[in-house]
Amino acid sequence: MDVWVQIVVSGLTLGALYAISTVGLSLVYGSMNMLNMAHGGILVIGGYTAFAASQWFGAPAIVSIVLAMAAGGLVGLLIFVVTAAPLLGSKNFETNIFIATIGVGAVLENSVLKVFGPYVKPQPVAFPGVLMLSGVAVPYQNVAILVVAMAMMAGVAALLQGTRTGRAIRATSQNRDAAQLMGVHVQKVYAQVLTLSGALAAISGVMISSLTSLSPTMGGDPMLKAFIICVVAGLGNTYGAAAAAIAIGFLEAGAQYAFGVRYGFASLLLLVIVVLIWRPSGLFGKSRIVRL
Amino acid sequence: MSKAMRDPVVGAALLVCAAVVPLVSHDRYIITQSTLFFIWATVVTQWNLVFGVGGIFSLAQMALFAFGAYGTAMLGYYGHWPMWLAIPVAALAASAASLLIGLACLRLRGPYVALLTLAIAQVLYLMIINDTECFLFNEGGCMPLFGGMRGIGSFGDLGFHAWLGPRYIIGDYFVALALLAAAFAFSIWLARGPFGLAFRALRDNPGYALSRGVSKFRYQLWIFALSSFFTGFAGAIYAGHFKFVGPTVFSFSLLLFLLSMIVVGGVGSTWGPVIGAALLMLADEGWKEAQDWRAFGMGLVLPAFLILLPDGVVGLFNRLQARRRAAPAHAELPAKAAEADL
Repeated sequence: MDVWVQIVVSGLTLGALYAISTVGLSLVYGSMNMLNMAHGGILVIGGYTAFAASQWFGAPAIVSIVLAMAAGGLVGLLIFVVTAAPLLGSKNFETNIFIATIGVGAVLENSVLKVFGPYVKPQPVAFPGVLMLSGVAVPYQNVAILVVAMAMMAGVAALLQGTRTGRAIRATSQNRDAAQLMGVHVQKVYAQVLTLSGALAAISGVMISSLTSLSPTMGGDPMLKAFIICVVAGLGNTYGAAAAAIAIGFLEAGAQYAFGVRYGFASLLLLVIVVLIWRPSGLFGKSRIVRL
Repeated sequence: MSKAMRDPVVGAALLVCAAVVPLVSHDRYIITQSTLFFIWATVVTQWNLVFGVGGIFSLAQMALFAFGAYGTAMLGYYGHWPMWLAIPVAALAASAASLLIGLACLRLRGPYVALLTLAIAQVLYLMIINDTECFLFNEGGCMPLFGGMRGIGSFGDLGFHAWLGPRYIIGDYFVALALLAAAFAFSIWLARGPFGLAFRALRDNPGYALSRGVSKFRYQLWIFALSSFFTGFAGAIYAGHFKFVGPTVFSFSLLLFLLSMIVVGGVGSTWGPVIGAALLMLADEGWKEAQDWRAFGMGLVLPAFLILLPDGVVGLFNRLQARRRAAPAHAELPAKAAEADL
């Protein structure tokens, strides 16, 4: 019984963590066919901004998180202005932006390395203490991650469904040309989506580092996992990605328990390959009809 | 000189020049850096076949390189195989691995392929560094099956140590040079032969090519597997040259360095990867003085080239040449002439 509660708790926490970072990636791909490889770099920027705010200026947790979001959003916007906008409309946009953002990600990580040094640091923005749940100790940190993740999901859903901006984003991902003909300023939508995705990446950076620790290279693994989740769900399907994130969090927790931590990621990947052979455009992805 | 003849002739001339270098210069540093250049140039010409010619955006290149390197090291370390038997076997193992990876990935669309190949490389890396169980004990203590974080050493070398003594690096130099020459000739043959034609047909008129029975999947799988033979071979020579293999071959900065070579030189062009490799190795020498800024520079190279020079140095050269040739005859249409030449 205890074991099952443990698996459920850690599965939910992992899933919530993955969901925060996945939703941003998925939105960006859905609206502009851009795989943002600098996402891991933004994650790191977010984590360290919260660290600096809390450690150096003594800001309370909420303020640190908001500052991290602002920094992440700013970096997202910068990525749009400096790399995505000049490449838009180039011949192999999908491949080119992928490669270009790999470079941007390296620059972001090295900026952090320059400012904060290479050593692993604890994240001061954290919630200590444990909650006893039918004999199992559940750290408040995990509860906080769940709450933040749900708040983010609700916020993003409200934004997408209830506002003019959200409607423009959805219209752009459904049919870019039609949206443009209806008077949607597509470039502005792209900028908004990248800013939003940057802010979400920053929060997930704070949450991930509060669970493990801060280091300039901490962004790579969560980013790769977020991408894998996007692929399983079908690239660009945002709600599917959130659902897949939770499911994969559970699966990874289960696999870690069954085969040991070492094989968690490997078994995850095996599953993804099987899924993709079965459904080449992801679980919730519509197969695209290619016109020659 | 016709265009088809130009490349082999230029290549042969460069080969002769390169072969003279160790007879003239006795600078160890130049020799060893050139050896490394030959190895990286081999890897990127093969990557360019996959990426530029075959249109597969695979990031598993260094994983295949690692198959060759680790295969050689493990056959030598555990099996005590002679190096020159282990090397081709390891290269074949890399090809076999690439067939498996290709079967799993190549049915997917472009960005899915990139993500999945990257994930496969990352999983291999994690499996190696997280492996702490001792496979055997020796004088160095505990030895995990894949060497763990420490890597695998003392499994033999390319055999020139016994023959040439301290001047063995010259032997290694020629081995790496021969490897690059073979890999480069292979890439020209593949890009201009039936494979190149098939990919060109698929690019120019996919409907017609498909209806004439040119299967994209089959050709992509072939080019993926064939190019990985030389990639694995380069990995095996790398292992033999350094007498050591560690998990650093999987590092993201190395992948970035090699990808930059292709982008800087010109994706899909014959000489682009080799020129890019030379330019980036030289740039790397310049950055040795300012080690801290190296990663910044490397990171900035990719977006800068993709935005300003998307067809690389070779594309720039072609455009300049076309403009010079077109200038007297029809000066009013330089852009059209440039396009026709490309």
